[in-house]
Amino acid sequence: MRSDDIAIEFKNVSKRYRLYRSDKHRFLGIFSNRIAFKEVYANSHLSFTVKRGESVAIIGSNGAGKSTMLKMITGVVFPTTGQVTVDGRVSAMLELTAGFDPEFTGRENVHLRGQLWGLDKDEVADLERAVVEFADIGDYIDQPMRTYSSGMKARVGFAISASINPEILVVDEALSVGDKNFRQKCNDKIREIMDKEHVTVIFVTHSSGAAEAICDRGLVLERGRLVFDGPIAAAVDYYEGPHDRTVTAAGAG
Amino acid sequence: MAQDRQAPLELLADRVKRYGATALDVVKEHADYRTQILQLAAVDMVKTYRGSALGWLWAVIKPSVTIFVYWFAFSVGLRAAGAVNGFPFFLWLVAGIVPWFYMQEMLTQGSTTLKRYDYLVTKIRFPVSTISTFVSLSKLYVHTALLMIVVVLFILFGYPVDIYFLQLPVYIVLMFMFFTLWSMFASLLSAMSKDFANVVNSFVTAVFWVSGIMWDVNSINNPLLAKLLLFNPVTFIATGYRNVFIYKRWFFQDTFALFAFAVMLAGMAGLALYTFHRLRRDIADVL
Repeated sequence: MRSDDIAIEFKNVSKRYRLYRSDKHRFLGIFSNRIAFKEVYANSHLSFTVKRGESVAIIGSNGAGKSTMLKMITGVVFPTTGQVTVDGRVSAMLELTAGFDPEFTGRENVHLRGQLWGLDKDEVADLERAVVEFADIGDYIDQPMRTYSSGMKARVGFAISASINPEILVVDEALSVGDKNFRQKCNDKIREIMDKEHVTVIFVTHSSGAAEAICDRGLVLERGRLVFDGPIAAAVDYYEGPHDRTVTAAGAG
Repeated sequence: MAQDRQAPLELLADRVKRYGATALDVVKEHADYRTQILQLAAVDMVKTYRGSALGWLWAVIKPSVTIFVYWFAFSVGLRAAGAVNGFPFFLWLVAGIVPWFYMQEMLTQGSTTLKRYDYLVTKIRFPVSTISTFVSLSKLYVHTALLMIVVVLFILFGYPVDIYFLQLPVYIVLMFMFFTLWSMFASLLSAMSKDFANVVNSFVTAVFWVSGIMWDVNSINNPLLAKLLLFNPVTFIATGYRNVFIYKRWFFQDTFALFAFAVMLAGMAGLALYTFHRLRRDIADVL
């Protein structure tokens, strides 16, 4: 396999969170290694590769470590040990209502986001046009975002994520955007992006039906560990089927 | 463990290498994101003055009120305001307090930049080290505008621009460097602990009064104390601005003051690098 075929690679990745007794202890912990803390592994020893153009479902219950893994893919959280390699422009549809400056209008936030990504003037103008059209929130686009309802924020958030021509698309299934019509529009858009060649899709879910509809491959996470990696049908079977969970639970503790 | 048995020299070399790599990362992030830094500085400025009817005027009104209050208290109330070096007390006050406005904002708001821009840390992939830089730059724009007004004020009072004004950029750059590094250091720490932010806020007023902004540092008789005071960067900058406007001295005339500031600047750079190196990967976890 040539290396430029790989979109995402995790090499023995672990993410440890340190839980201190209080803020004071955490503060002192910066300067001293003697302050006691509890270690929690959100992810441990994850190793897998995702090829360009693959669509992969990440399946797991709450607390399985899906969010932490996604944050490492998007590059806002860093692994404690191991190596994460991501090759391509990532668009994450995770917390759509987050990442906006409430003092700025929707339109200004679109500009801001475009600038943060380092787009040039024309590209920002294109982005603005696409977002305004897709979000479809009327005059509110020129109002400060602190006045938005969560539905409106999510519309703008989705429109931005969908409009940057991602090479790697990370979708959280839990995202339910706006009303039924808009949800349909979002689903269509996601499919449209997925149909493009060489777009890699990471689809996060704790239910299995949606995963089978979209993805070819499934990764099952359990207590921070990768417990299954294979074709989607088998992954769903594994996740839903009766298997010995106590073994992995003991291993994680 | 094998690591414990490493020779101290090797350990030191290893540490220098790792901190050096971090420093290089900071420089590289600034170079890669230079356009964004400039754009975000403008965005930050707009954000500060947005949402009020008078908008930009506040950038002038607030300092004017402060200056008037101090001038009133000292010259009318305390009657402790004689001319300094042939300049009216009012101009002497303005020359020292205008840089203080920038320094004060950097001391307080500069230590909360990461909290204010937490979405750049936790939601979007963005180099954390540049956040303090663009906030500091935004404050510097406002400072430069105020400084222009001060220059005009001096001209109106009948004191024309002279050759000493050429050193203003030197002091501006030194002030910017020191307080940007401070902000990088302090914003990381106050993201980790609320206590730190509170400590900073409660000491700002104290810093103002001990730093010789409201009194003439040249009037100190104790030579040791006079030397010690020079290690306070706020004193160095405020006095520097007064050297330009009032005392008509060059920045290289007082080599000890320059040396003391250089020591503090290097120290601040060390602190900033140390905290950034230790916390850069953890900061997204706690914000």
